[in-house]
Amino acid sequence: MLNKNSIEELAIFGGAKLFETPKPTSNLVRPDIDAFLGYSKIFFEQHRYSNDGALVKLLEQRLSKFHQTEFCVTFCSGFWALCLAITAVAKPGRSEIVMPSFTYRRMADLAAWTKLKPHFCDVEEATLAVSAATARPCINDDTALILGVHPIVNFCDIDGLVDLARERDIPLLFDSVESVYESSAGRKIGCFGQAEVFSLGASKLVNGFEGGYITTNDGRLAERLLRARDFGLKGPDEVVVSGGLNANLNEIHAAMALASMDDLGDQVVRNRQRYQSYLRLLAPLKGIRMLEFDESHNPGYKNIVIEVLDDWPVSRDDTVRILNAEMILARAYYTPPLHRKRMAYPYVTAELPVTDRLSERYILPPCGHLVSNEDIAAIAALLGFISANAEAINARLQQQGEAK
Amino acid sequence: MSTTGFALFGARPIFSKPVPFGQRYFPSWERYEESVRGIFDRQYYTEYGPLNQKLEQQLQQFIGVRHAICVTNATVAMMMLADAMGLKGKVILPSLAHISTAQSLSWAGLQPVFCDVDPVTHQLDPDRVAALIDQDVSAIMGVHLSGGACRPKDLAELAERHDIQLYFDAAHAFGCAVGGKRIGTFGRAEVFSFRSDMILNATDGGCICTNDDELAARLRTMRSSAGAGIPVAVTKTVNGRMSEAQCAIALMSLEDFPVNRQNNENLYRIYEERLAGIPGLDLVSPAGVSISNYQSLVCRVDERIFGLPRDVLIALLKAENVDARRYLHPGQHRSIPFVQGHLPAQLPVTESLCATCIQLPVGAHVTDQSIEGICDILRRAHQAASAISVRYGHMREHT
Repeated sequence: MLNKNSIEELAIFGGAKLFETPKPTSNLVRPDIDAFLGYSKIFFEQHRYSNDGALVKLLEQRLSKFHQTEFCVTFCSGFWALCLAITAVAKPGRSEIVMPSFTYRRMADLAAWTKLKPHFCDVEEATLAVSAATARPCINDDTALILGVHPIVNFCDIDGLVDLARERDIPLLFDSVESVYESSAGRKIGCFGQAEVFSLGASKLVNGFEGGYITTNDGRLAERLLRARDFGLKGPDEVVVSGGLNANLNEIHAAMALASMDDLGDQVVRNRQRYQSYLRLLAPLKGIRMLEFDESHNPGYKNIVIEVLDDWPVSRDDTVRILNAEMILARAYYTPPLHRKRMAYPYVTAELPVTDRLSERYILPPCGHLVSNEDIAAIAALLGFISANAEAINARLQQQGEAK
Repeated sequence: MSTTGFALFGARPIFSKPVPFGQRYFPSWERYEESVRGIFDRQYYTEYGPLNQKLEQQLQQFIGVRHAICVTNATVAMMMLADAMGLKGKVILPSLAHISTAQSLSWAGLQPVFCDVDPVTHQLDPDRVAALIDQDVSAIMGVHLSGGACRPKDLAELAERHDIQLYFDAAHAFGCAVGGKRIGTFGRAEVFSFRSDMILNATDGGCICTNDDELAARLRTMRSSAGAGIPVAVTKTVNGRMSEAQCAIALMSLEDFPVNRQNNENLYRIYEERLAGIPGLDLVSPAGVSISNYQSLVCRVDERIFGLPRDVLIALLKAENVDARRYLHPGQHRSIPFVQGHLPAQLPVTESLCATCIQLPVGAHVTDQSIEGICDILRRAHQAASAISVRYGHMREHT
């Protein structure tokens, strides 16, 4: 399984790579080609390729049913979906958006496109996510919006944030890109806050090549977003909503998302098998701990998150480097956090000790459609090898560093 | 002449199926299927994949430009470009353009200053632009309209003289050339649209063309596409990726471009011949280009000569299943939120064109027979103008 007998055989020290093809952390699920072609036939025969076509409408119906919401509006990406949702619900005349720093690497940029200042809040150690307790100190008279972002495993403090937003009369959006499949207290993710935003990117649970969507029970908001994604237009040339752009989902991407939806239940079974392989194979390794999904929430098991504990004998970043050299495209979890990155736009400075500490501890190992249970066994064996040979590896890495 | 032969007043429509608006060229099912099966085999769906790389190389070669950077769509491309160029304050652009041009400026925190256009060519007029330049203006955004071009060389001289930047919305101009030089090579950058309305169809999509290496590196970093060059410092990023599926369609559309362009020109010539005998309809010819893509068919309706206003003509055509549209109506300066602070009196040519121009179908699903039918409706409408006017007036009163 692991063809390495000495540390010289690690790829980072010049040995052969463990894998010939990259093992990604992206989901890259491949739906059934015939299902995709079947949907494609619909737009092909109608000669209609974008702009609220038949497949976009079908997908929106399907997604609103899935999330048990009244409305769903699709977009060309989750990024622009969230931008338009923020501009639609933010309190006018206010300038700050409260958001976690320990999240998606473009989230602060996204806020800057909406001309709001990111006001970063800390996260809970237990969930790696924003809560009412961590958001509350950031709320002030300039708060235009609270952005609840679900972490990769399980979700953030939904009820607490909903209560806080209501108490302070501030709009609340959820970035639910990582929590498509889950339910909270029997209610599907998608129905909380003013709206929830999801992605249909190839790396996400539902692969639409690219794309995104918003779910909401607010009909006026849905109508506004429907216009905003098409330049604010109603009909061919009447602008009825300011601040629009082209954020339309095209029909090919809608066809792909529909085909992915057809396979969703089966995909989650496959994801769970990968998750359980990791759980079983990493359990004997001292110093790393897998974050476990709360199975009562009906998760999608898309990504795997590992915590590097204090007694893991190689640093988190060196562990990632060693894995990357083997074509294992493991990544450090949301590192650096947003408040530690250079920003060329206004933001509110923040001291976030929990985020700082946590940002040094987690790894996303490979997952998704291109990763087999055999691959997972090899990755686990490699981690075991790293642990067993840590002393020599650390010494060799230090030599390498000094040589540079 | 009576009104009895018109579907608007109860007759059977001339066309049983809609004659659609927009170019809508698309590969055959067999080519489509083969292409998407390749994507499924490679399992590479987005993020600067092999088809994206191939498309950018082919576009660079076709246009003769150092960098073609494919983006989700042209509006996102224009927003990215305004930010990457470091523009500040005001940007001068024509009001006679799609609303997305001014919207791209708002997203980038810039203030649009609307300029009037030439009454004959409908293109941005450098002399009128010059009159609007002040110390707060950081750039001119030229917009090439209707298969024509907006005097890019004169605008470049003007921009240079005032030390301001120049870039172009070339959404309507893929494949056009000025003095033998392809559009896509002028100004600091030019942006094409690959919407299905356009001659190069990626279902949606866009592309920024530039000869500026530094700007290209910034745009590639902003777009968020792993593997597309070494990241450089930018003010902010976006998701601006064009997927492998979009690129697959665009590659086939690029291959088909010569045939589709010729088809457009043939259709234009038929319209030209058939419309010539109808008083009060002036076909707008693509201005200022040595090669046109003929992707738009725009007519100016002179109500005094034709006998009916443009909007009645559109109502007549729609009833006959012809998707005719107002052309760039009502002008960006009359659309929210830009309507505040822009006086229509300052844009008399734009006002007049927005009130009188009509766009007729041209593209993959328009045949010479459809043009015959459309022009026949127009001819009969002119002949029955007085009766239509009276009956349309009554109809409006009762609805």
